[in-house]
Amino acid sequence: MASNKKYWKSVEELKENSSIVEKLAKSEFAEELPTSDFLGDKETLETSETTRRDFLKYVGFSTAVASLVACEGPVINSVPYLVKPHNAIPGVADFYATTIADGYDFANVLVKVREGRPIKIEPNKDSINGETNARVQASVLSLYDNNRLRGPLSKGETTDFKTLDTEVVSKLNELKENGEKIVFLTGTCASPSTKSLILKFTENFGNVDHVVYDAISEDAALNAFEKMYGNRALPDYDFAKAEVIVSVAADFLSDWQGGGYETSYAKGRVPTKGKMSRHIQFESNMTLTGANADKRVIIKPSQQALAMTKLYQAIVKGIATREASPLNDAVQKAATQIKKAGKNAVVVTGVQDEQVQLMALAINNHIQSSVIDVVATKNVRHGNDEKVAQLIKDMQAGKVGAVIMHNTNPVYTLPKGTAFTEALKKVKLSIAFTMSADQTANTSQYVIATPHYLESWGDVMIKKGQYSLVQPTINKLFNTRQFQDTLLKWTGSSESYYDYLKNQWQTTVLGGKSWNKTLHDGTFNVALPEVELIVNEVAISGISSKGSDLELTTYTKVGLGDGQQANNPWLLELPDPITRTSWDNYLLISRIDAEKFGLTNWTVSNGALNGDMVNVTANNGVTINNVPVYIQPGQAPGSVALALGYGRTDLKGDMKVGINAYPLSTGIFQNVSIEKVEGEHKFACVQLQHTIMGREGEITKETTLADFISKPKEEWNQAPLFSLNHELVEQDKVNLWQEFDSSIGTVFNLSIDLATCTGCAACVIACHAENNVPVVGKQEIRLSRDMHWLRIDRYYSSDMTVERGKEEDIYGSGKFFNAQTHPSDAPEVSFQPVMCQHCNSAPCETVCPVAATSHGRQGQNQMAYNRCIGTRYCANNCPYRVRRFNWFKYANNNEFDFNMNNDLGKMVLNPDVVVRSRGVMEKCSFCIQATQAAILKAKKEGRAVKDKEFNDACACSNACASGSMVFGDVNDETSKVASMVEDDRSFKLLDFVGTKPNVFYQLKVKNTNEA
Amino acid sequence: MKVVMQSNTLKKLLTGLSFFLLFSSSLYAQEGDAVNGKKIFNKECAACHKLEKKSIGPPLKGITEKRSNEWLQAWIKDNKALRESGDQDAIDIFNEYNGMPMIAYMHLSEQDINDILAYTDDKPIVAEATDVASTQAVDPKVAIGKKLFQKECAACHKLDRKLIGPALGNIADKRDAEWLRLWIRDNNALRASGDQDAIDIFNEYNGMPMTAYHHLSDEDIDAIIAYTSVGDVKKVATTDAAKVDNLAKPKGSTAWMSYIVIFVLLILIVWIYVASNNGFLKIMATIFVLLLGTYILFDSLMDIGIDQGYQPIQPIAFSHKIHAGDNKIDCEYCHSSAKNSKTSGIPSVNVCMNCHKSISEYTGPVTSEFSKEFYDAEIHKIYEAIGWDPEELEYIEGYEQKPIKWVRIHNLPDFVYYNHSQHVNVAGIDCQKCHGPVEEMDEVYQYSSLTMGWCIDCHKETNVDLKGNDYYAKIHQELAKKFGVEKITVAQLGGKECGKCHY
Repeated sequence: MASNKKYWKSVEELKENSSIVEKLAKSEFAEELPTSDFLGDKETLETSETTRRDFLKYVGFSTAVASLVACEGPVINSVPYLVKPHNAIPGVADFYATTIADGYDFANVLVKVREGRPIKIEPNKDSINGETNARVQASVLSLYDNNRLRGPLSKGETTDFKTLDTEVVSKLNELKENGEKIVFLTGTCASPSTKSLILKFTENFGNVDHVVYDAISEDAALNAFEKMYGNRALPDYDFAKAEVIVSVAADFLSDWQGGGYETSYAKGRVPTKGKMSRHIQFESNMTLTGANADKRVIIKPSQQALAMTKLYQAIVKGIATREASPLNDAVQKAATQIKKAGKNAVVVTGVQDEQVQLMALAINNHIQSSVIDVVATKNVRHGNDEKVAQLIKDMQAGKVGAVIMHNTNPVYTLPKGTAFTEALKKVKLSIAFTMSADQTANTSQYVIATPHYLESWGDVMIKKGQYSLVQPTINKLFNTRQFQDTLLKWTGSSESYYDYLKNQWQTTVLGGKSWNKTLHDGTFNVALPEVELIVNEVAISGISSKGSDLELTTYTKVGLGDGQQANNPWLLELPDPITRTSWDNYLLISRIDAEKFGLTNWTVSNGALNGDMVNVTANNGVTINNVPVYIQPGQAPGSVALALGYGRTDLKGDMKVGINAYPLSTGIFQNVSIEKVEGEHKFACVQLQHTIMGREGEITKETTLADFISKPKEEWNQAPLFSLNHELVEQDKVNLWQEFDSSIGTVFNLSIDLATCTGCAACVIACHAENNVPVVGKQEIRLSRDMHWLRIDRYYSSDMTVERGKEEDIYGSGKFFNAQTHPSDAPEVSFQPVMCQHCNSAPCETVCPVAATSHGRQGQNQMAYNRCIGTRYCANNCPYRVRRFNWFKYANNNEFDFNMNNDLGKMVLNPDVVVRSRGVMEKCSFCIQATQAAILKAKKEGRAVKDKEFNDACACSNACASGSMVFGDVNDETSKVASMVEDDRSFKLLDFVGTKPNVFYQLKVKNTNEA
Repeated sequence: MKVVMQSNTLKKLLTGLSFFLLFSSSLYAQEGDAVNGKKIFNKECAACHKLEKKSIGPPLKGITEKRSNEWLQAWIKDNKALRESGDQDAIDIFNEYNGMPMIAYMHLSEQDINDILAYTDDKPIVAEATDVASTQAVDPKVAIGKKLFQKECAACHKLDRKLIGPALGNIADKRDAEWLRLWIRDNNALRASGDQDAIDIFNEYNGMPMTAYHHLSDEDIDAIIAYTSVGDVKKVATTDAAKVDNLAKPKGSTAWMSYIVIFVLLILIVWIYVASNNGFLKIMATIFVLLLGTYILFDSLMDIGIDQGYQPIQPIAFSHKIHAGDNKIDCEYCHSSAKNSKTSGIPSVNVCMNCHKSISEYTGPVTSEFSKEFYDAEIHKIYEAIGWDPEELEYIEGYEQKPIKWVRIHNLPDFVYYNHSQHVNVAGIDCQKCHGPVEEMDEVYQYSSLTMGWCIDCHKETNVDLKGNDYYAKIHQELAKKFGVEKITVAQLGGKECGKCHY
């Protein structure tokens, strides 16, 4: 046995005799189906106008009509191109390299285009910044957002660009004559050509200022870096080089400083040759990064600066605090490990304070960390809080003539959004460049509809020396115009932005290299000149932040981020990796605080979660009413947290969810008070759903690095043994089924490394996009009818229980301090992506009455939708709970008013995958449409399929930035997956059931070495 | 276009008739020899006259129906004299054509004129085919010339009408051979030498220079000129009609047999019910009727959704027979994505225009139902879609293009994945295997049932060619080692699995 841990998904499971958990373990529904509600009510049945005979008549008649209608097939027209672009072949996908740079997410991507429609975003693996997170993957759906602006607006009325240009230019000229100030307020702009266009504009109109504003600012880190290195940018980190990573509230596996660190982090987490990095996380919220850490130290937000100060003193100043406290203890241990690792250690922090940021930089500089790169700096955040504040003051004082806003929504994202609205009214000319009629657009005089990045030209310099190009992959859908084209027009140039961009690149960037080749590659790297690094001596003062009983921090979720794509149903339906809750944000609170305030979460009979609500009052004067409370295991007592990006008022219908937390997002944290209010909130929480139920054995496996190195495999990864003729034998000796011959030809296997899976959920969205998985909405999720083919199970575990504490005689002592009396107070976390396991002895195949699901020679468990009659027997017989049933028709149905209910949103559908109808079962197919396409391509070219092609065919393994998922042909000895199947760490999920899956896992290893 | 049913007897009759015509035409030369007539026409008349259309002079087709032979003889030999003689018809024509006099053709004999008139009458066209063919066969020069013309000139020139360059039919009548040689070899040099004709032509065609053909020898050029003077072989309507008949499929030949059987059975059953007292027979008849009814019902229900033979009316009466059959255009020339993509692709209009820029008229055989005019109008539908001016030979600027809405014949349900390139490119299967003799279809219909059983049957029978494709190299080796078999069917390779076509 790997460990004697008990894993759980929901606190509900920790309760003794929880009837719901017991019921869910045995049956599909926790409660009886309410058949008696409509059949038991004799009175209504009898008084009903429809008698049984009428009913039968209707059924008979409609069947007859349906059959008659079916006799005459519809006439289907086929309209070919008039003039076909010679490189577009209908039915063949093209890939274009481009770059997303929306001010929050930056990545080099490949866009899959079918018949001129972008349908999927994939990572550009030939580039340095080719990591796609869930939002980047989902951004293709935002292109087809029905909420997008169709054309420019002037004072709320539709107008055309010509009129708008004339009006705006005359106003700008007027302002120029009066010498009034024109301000550009933009999100982080990493585009060299746009910057030069703004300069050109400045030359034209004189008094122009450019203020950069990030909704989620890294201002402190930028200022600290500028002080120390003289350059207002962010350093880059290569976590692959790190032996020790100490993070103080830096959620670097999601969005900290622009994110994109999964790949390098994961490289250091593979315990090959008995070596892996040691990751210590000091934090108050349970973040994705904390969940992956080897040691997670739970501290309140107000203690974060203190922890960093102590770390700084211990390492740089050599002062060790003597007084013993859990925090001191943890800091000293971390300091010792950093010192030991020397230049292979790194300290990062997400505390939004200049002094704290300076301390982290000073420590890294002191140990000469090789992990941090201060030369090739990142341009992904540039926001300057001070300048923004000054701008608002100037606007209020009437000192600003015009504000031109691009790629920003300050009315929504500023803590004092209404103040900004008021200030904007005092500005003579306000122009918003935006894709949707958001709050800022609604308060601006002129609104210029901008194209999506997939319709735009552009360039980005994500890191110093790493240039990327943005190219359109579809004609503009609406009457939109790019910010850059508009600037050119207003400055009197007749040049298009494309010409300008090409010209600028050819003269300043490419140095004679081919433009077309660069456009094809998407990126162009320039070697940085050797410059002697000057490190400024900066005086660092310790800071003390005044905490309180309840400190609130705001954070971002991997789904919505800063809320730019808040109208994206894929992202809203994506369950948060930690809370496993979708369609909501909520106040995270610890168990101890919840008990203190009398707040509860309870699982209702159908397995869904309900919770109490509170009013939150912050000491900056903001009160937010009716905030649902979610009791989060591992949340620091005395701290609460609320996610940003929700509660946008400009959205419609089901998309309008959550609470806007931006008013609370000032400073490092807010001291708040909460007050319980009447009412309950219904969460769309999937944590108890699709539980691998009724199995007592191990589900996920993990071990420690020490055991992994020193002990034989049998001790930490014992394959299950079966009794045959009174002898224990391994699984291949016993099988109830006749084996499939899988020795010849391609046989697909998927390997998932639990040590490197960070739970980032990019694979879930990639699967969504590739396989036309429908969005079902909050209500259906509550009924455990989510359609995700791929889910990421999150398990909590804890070594320390009351019983064990008593056994070891530490219960009640300082070590076993009060906060840890409950296992949910400091749990460890492991993620486990689960999709159809493609069993070689599949329980689903044997029970299907119509043989709709069958085993393929290539190891894929196939599902023929047109054959399925919807008995759902297969789903009930699947031990992994990975089959999804279409309870409704999710396309063209006003009850499910998401992307599949409008013509625009349907453009994202993959034409190679059928949209399933009501009443059929569906599940992961190992992306058979893509594996078959890869095989066909090889056949046509007369060659064997390359390993990389298979790995990139599967949407999940292609999207996996950490390389945790590896897909390929296990019969090809040279493939990566063939080598992994032999690995000591590999195990199969519920292997003792004997299903022999084609998916296997590499067990998680934690580096628990304290010294 | 529905295929006209013809019996074999009729076919024989027609063939006999055409032979008779052929024979008789050479017997009665007096009647006028159209072949010779065509030659003379092209040489003497074609500069100003066309058969169908008004040119400088009036169209001459069927002129003998309008005017008497004597009058025509007199007019052609010396129309001025005829006019002066006070013939009203002659004066009228003269005035109608703006007083432009026709050249007097004193040198033409009576027989020559009869020949011309025979040609314009279209009368013994049967003879022409063989005769012109034989001329070409006899005169290898013309054949060589034709080949060269098609290789070197046809991209810009036609015989009968202007294309990018001028029409070249009977160019020898206009220019002397020496001038032509100079021009063809290096028209640039000729112009530079100050030749007025050369400069005029250059200017007439908007200063578009012609390619210099230095590599053509004098013989080559003479051969081309010879060809331009003789022209093309015209196919014969009657013989072609016979050919069409030959291809006509006999349909429903045995249907009447089964009708009779059914009718007899019905009579029998009715008789059993009405007239017989035998209870056993009645029970048997009832069982029989029930079984038959069930069978018919089941059969008709199983036919739902199967559209074999579906032959919708298309917006353009595009004939695959003319394109793929008569003109032997490769299927993949138009359906170019079949080798690359899952769809074979209906060609975009610009693909049609590759040829139809220069082919604005139908010149093939016609039937009474489908005349030349009919086909020409269909060709013009392409021009209407894309906006091409067949007179000016250019795309109309600012034209609102109208995409062609073809009716899709082969419809697979959404839940079926079918890939053309797999079958066409990898397996090398002929299009006809599934689509039937498309090259014989004027109007395409669904040839195969396209049911799953039909797919699977083929997958079960077809052997995969494992050799010559490195993709199969490994599996071939393994299979040979394991089973010692060399041949393997698609189904054995997994082509029978649900998931290979349903996802």
